[in-house]
Amino acid sequence: MAAKQNLSEPSDSDSSSLTDQSVSGRSGNRSLRVAEKERRKNEAEDPFVLALKYFSDVGAGTPVYGNDEFETNLVLVERVAYSKGLSPEAISVMLEFAMSLRMGTGPCVRVLKCLIPATIVPQEPIVRAVVWLGVGKIPISTQVLFIKWVLTVFDMIDAKDQLRAIYGFIFSFVTEENLCPFICHLLYLLTRKESVRVFRVRKLLELQSKLGRQPFLLHLLSLYKVFCPELVTLSIPSRMKSGFRNYNTPWKSALIAVQKRNGSQLASSTSLPFTIKDKTSSRKRKHCHLELPVLSSLVNKQPQTELSSSRKVVPLVQLNSFAQLLENIHRIELPAQMGSLLGSSLALQYLDCVQDESALLRLNFWLGYALHEEFLFYGDGGAYQNSEEALQFLDKLLFTQHFLQEAFSSSEAFLYKFLSVWDGSLLRPQILGLLSNIPVVPSSQIGRLLFEPLMQLFFTSSLFFKCGLMECLNNMLLKWLTWHSVYALEDDLDISLNSHTSINMTLSGFKDSVMELVHFVGRLASVGLQLEGCHTLLLSFVLDFYETVCDTFLKYGLPLVVMPPPGVFYPALFSLDPVSVDRLAYIMYRYKVNLTSAKSQEKVTEQAFHISRQTFREFNHYLVVMVNCLWNSNMFRPGMGVQLGEEVLLKSNVPQYWTSFDLVHHPAFMSYAVDFHQRCWPGRKDMDLNSIKHSKPWSWYLEYLYSQGYDGLKQCVPAP
Amino acid sequence: MERQHNSVVRTPLNSVVVQRRSKSKSYRQSYRSCLGAASRLGLTPALTARRLNTSRRAPKSHNITDKVDPEQLTLLLKTEWKLSYVTPLYQFRHTQLKSYSRQLSAFIAAEKQQGLAVDAEGSQSSFRVSFSVVQGMTETADDAETVLIQIHSKPMFAKQDDPQKLVWSGWLACINGNPDYLSSLSKDFICLPLFGSSGPEVLTTLVKSWFQQMFDCCFGPLEISHTSLQWLVALWTNCHTESNIQHLRMIWTLPVTPPLQITYTVDAQDAWELWSSVRKDPEEESEGGEEVEEGGSIDLKEVMRFMQGLKNHFYRHFRLDLSAGSLQQVSTALGSAKYSGRIKVSSDGKNCSQSFSQDTFLLTHTRKDKCCTNIFFLSF
Repeated sequence: MAAKQNLSEPSDSDSSSLTDQSVSGRSGNRSLRVAEKERRKNEAEDPFVLALKYFSDVGAGTPVYGNDEFETNLVLVERVAYSKGLSPEAISVMLEFAMSLRMGTGPCVRVLKCLIPATIVPQEPIVRAVVWLGVGKIPISTQVLFIKWVLTVFDMIDAKDQLRAIYGFIFSFVTEENLCPFICHLLYLLTRKESVRVFRVRKLLELQSKLGRQPFLLHLLSLYKVFCPELVTLSIPSRMKSGFRNYNTPWKSALIAVQKRNGSQLASSTSLPFTIKDKTSSRKRKHCHLELPVLSSLVNKQPQTELSSSRKVVPLVQLNSFAQLLENIHRIELPAQMGSLLGSSLALQYLDCVQDESALLRLNFWLGYALHEEFLFYGDGGAYQNSEEALQFLDKLLFTQHFLQEAFSSSEAFLYKFLSVWDGSLLRPQILGLLSNIPVVPSSQIGRLLFEPLMQLFFTSSLFFKCGLMECLNNMLLKWLTWHSVYALEDDLDISLNSHTSINMTLSGFKDSVMELVHFVGRLASVGLQLEGCHTLLLSFVLDFYETVCDTFLKYGLPLVVMPPPGVFYPALFSLDPVSVDRLAYIMYRYKVNLTSAKSQEKVTEQAFHISRQTFREFNHYLVVMVNCLWNSNMFRPGMGVQLGEEVLLKSNVPQYWTSFDLVHHPAFMSYAVDFHQRCWPGRKDMDLNSIKHSKPWSWYLEYLYSQGYDGLKQCVPAP
Repeated sequence: MERQHNSVVRTPLNSVVVQRRSKSKSYRQSYRSCLGAASRLGLTPALTARRLNTSRRAPKSHNITDKVDPEQLTLLLKTEWKLSYVTPLYQFRHTQLKSYSRQLSAFIAAEKQQGLAVDAEGSQSSFRVSFSVVQGMTETADDAETVLIQIHSKPMFAKQDDPQKLVWSGWLACINGNPDYLSSLSKDFICLPLFGSSGPEVLTTLVKSWFQQMFDCCFGPLEISHTSLQWLVALWTNCHTESNIQHLRMIWTLPVTPPLQITYTVDAQDAWELWSSVRKDPEEESEGGEEVEEGGSIDLKEVMRFMQGLKNHFYRHFRLDLSAGSLQQVSTALGSAKYSGRIKVSSDGKNCSQSFSQDTFLLTHTRKDKCCTNIFFLSF
């Protein structure tokens, strides 16, 4: 009505408003007034406006046949509708005209078919039209057409509150057999938790018993189930198509054309965010442990929670976007099966804020069950036969753990058992990935739980496994250290791993665990390098690890310095590959920086963290060896790490054996020395590398070497 | 770490107040409660290995009918149960059994008629489900009461007034559960780790999936291990003086091609004599330092000696060494147990009350054994 009044106003009150204006706006701009007047005049004379006025004013019972005025006006409206679309006011007028049947049912259908909105659709005329449906004079087919139209333009309706307010009224039309599918769809779009009532469920079930299993009833009921699982029990066949059939055909193409022309992108998506999981069960497994449970709302509501049910909760299933999640984060209801959280990325966001101890326990029970059944009990072949599925499952688990930056306890517990039966190749990247996520293990148990099985695997597996394990242990150490550096700041260096049980981890406990791990890797690396003939790839992973170790104090604030064992130091020092030697030099340099800063801090704060003299001694020793060997050409001197008897060295017939590992003669750098020699003395025929050792060329040579990107060497012993 | 953290610890778990918890700890906390006190699927207390009994109390005859209603008892006897293990049930309440009955019948009806909704009252269902508590089927105070589930239905072409017949039954029990574990579990969970079912597989699957959705738990198959079966051989034979076991029958399979299955039946009296001969002297036992009540405990060594005796006997006659094979099934007049996780406890008609107690003792004992198996099974 309001729209109609608005429209009719210009003609009715044209003169009066004009006089009003002339009275009130005497001082106003005259030309503006003229323009305004002109516009109004044009508008009044605009045939389209006149046509609308005709439809809003035409009296009931006006004949249609032979009514030229009606015909021209309607053709005009149709033309505008198909070209530009109708404005909200026009829709309002035309819908009112059509549904009131002022000129019978014929024009009604014709008008409905051309109701193509240009922008939005106001909800009031729709509410009125629904009321007209109730009057009952409109033929069923026309009613269907109307509901279809509402469904088509549903997303363009400006507000839905009034439509929701008449939910019950709309619901009453479900009994009309032909309308039912469309009404169900409309109800589906309008349903809120409060609209799900026992009597409505009963009505739908009654209808179902009359009509048989109809997808539209099922869809509506399944939505009811989402809101109130305690009211309706339903199993959705896996074959069922998701969503309602597309009812919007008559308008769809015209609507798209109009929208395109108007350049507006009002996405009319009547496709529903339907929650039925599309089970594409290509493989049929009898027991599939690895299938994530479907996200569904809680059925087993506790009586005591009814008290708090006045506080509205929102089932997680109902949320479709991150914005919705944020909006409802204080009142989200956990799903019936916690495992289902892993299946949805949105739910995963929420998992991060879950405070409920029991909920996490539920998740862990499920996860533990799935992992055990699949990888340890393998009731039906397990992972060995379903590796594709297992792979996806573990990838999902890894993704989740990385997302949460924390491991699940059940996966940790599982790993301890699995390591002892693992062949080292099944799903290696995933298992190693999970392994690198495990939290700090108390040093009393770390040996039995981790080291023993890992040692067996390490020594019996290929080079690539060895490298993989090194990387995994490096990541593990990194995570432990990061964890420490974050939480050590929060409190006085006392880390309690946990509260419930006796495993409280003090700083010294944590240090012990880290030390155990570093020593363990040292042992593995020493023997591994020997076994694999100091393979460069393995050496590179080992050096990665020590790059983490050498910086524990400065980077992670852990007052702990552990030197590499000789089995790692010497292979790196004598490596054939200049990069390894350079990295070793870098590591030694970082050790130096860490140790000096620890020492100075010790002096300043006089705090009793103590780095043992033994560590300093080891470091000094290594540094002396390295510098003597590479820079000072002073190899095999008594008191150094590598000692050989004088007579053995003489027997080897190597001239000037003490120089054979300096930066000139070291096999890794020999090519640089040769290159340098050629550049330095281009004319010389006979090559005498020893001539590089003279003080001037030596400093040039070092400069040359450092300019090749060997920053580690450069940092260790800066150029003179 | 973290004062607020500690404050959480002091707060009871089921406290209504939502504690702001330092994020980092959330998983770890639940983790230790999961790990610290041995979840079935987690680690046992001190991260130790299996819980494998090397010694058991010999069954003492006590009349279980004192504790358990005989009528309910008959429902449990003479049926072969397929066993499964179950993770703890979330928010299961023994007080809600009526409502569970309704909901499960509705669920079964809905699943039976895919794509047809049913109202949650389950009134139109052709299946009638009843949950009931079997009072007294527990051993310790921490054990949750056993729950019996029965499904009645009318046969397809039954007359209008035909009574509904029992088509499926099952139970969930916890007998002699690990007290450390039970007490560590939060109040939100009920631990009924052993599930026995008998009836069409379809219904078993439906019941299981209803439990899964309702109580967020998981079901896994539970085999009765070789060692457990050997225990049963000994424990049942040990009962012979009190309740005639009539025979001791074992089924072995030998890994040859074609596979060889051997049914080995021993006369009850012979078995008993062999068993008595391998039993340790009470004096010898007391030498061991512990004062053991008469016939008090049975040692795994005795069981192994007994089994060896049986195997030797077989070898002497048939030149077949059963050690190479595996024990698949054990049965006596008291009951039977199979490797596949099926057990049955029978009753002896003649000496009804006595044998009830005996049988049920065995049932509980067997169950206890299953529970142990369960724990054992899950914790290595």
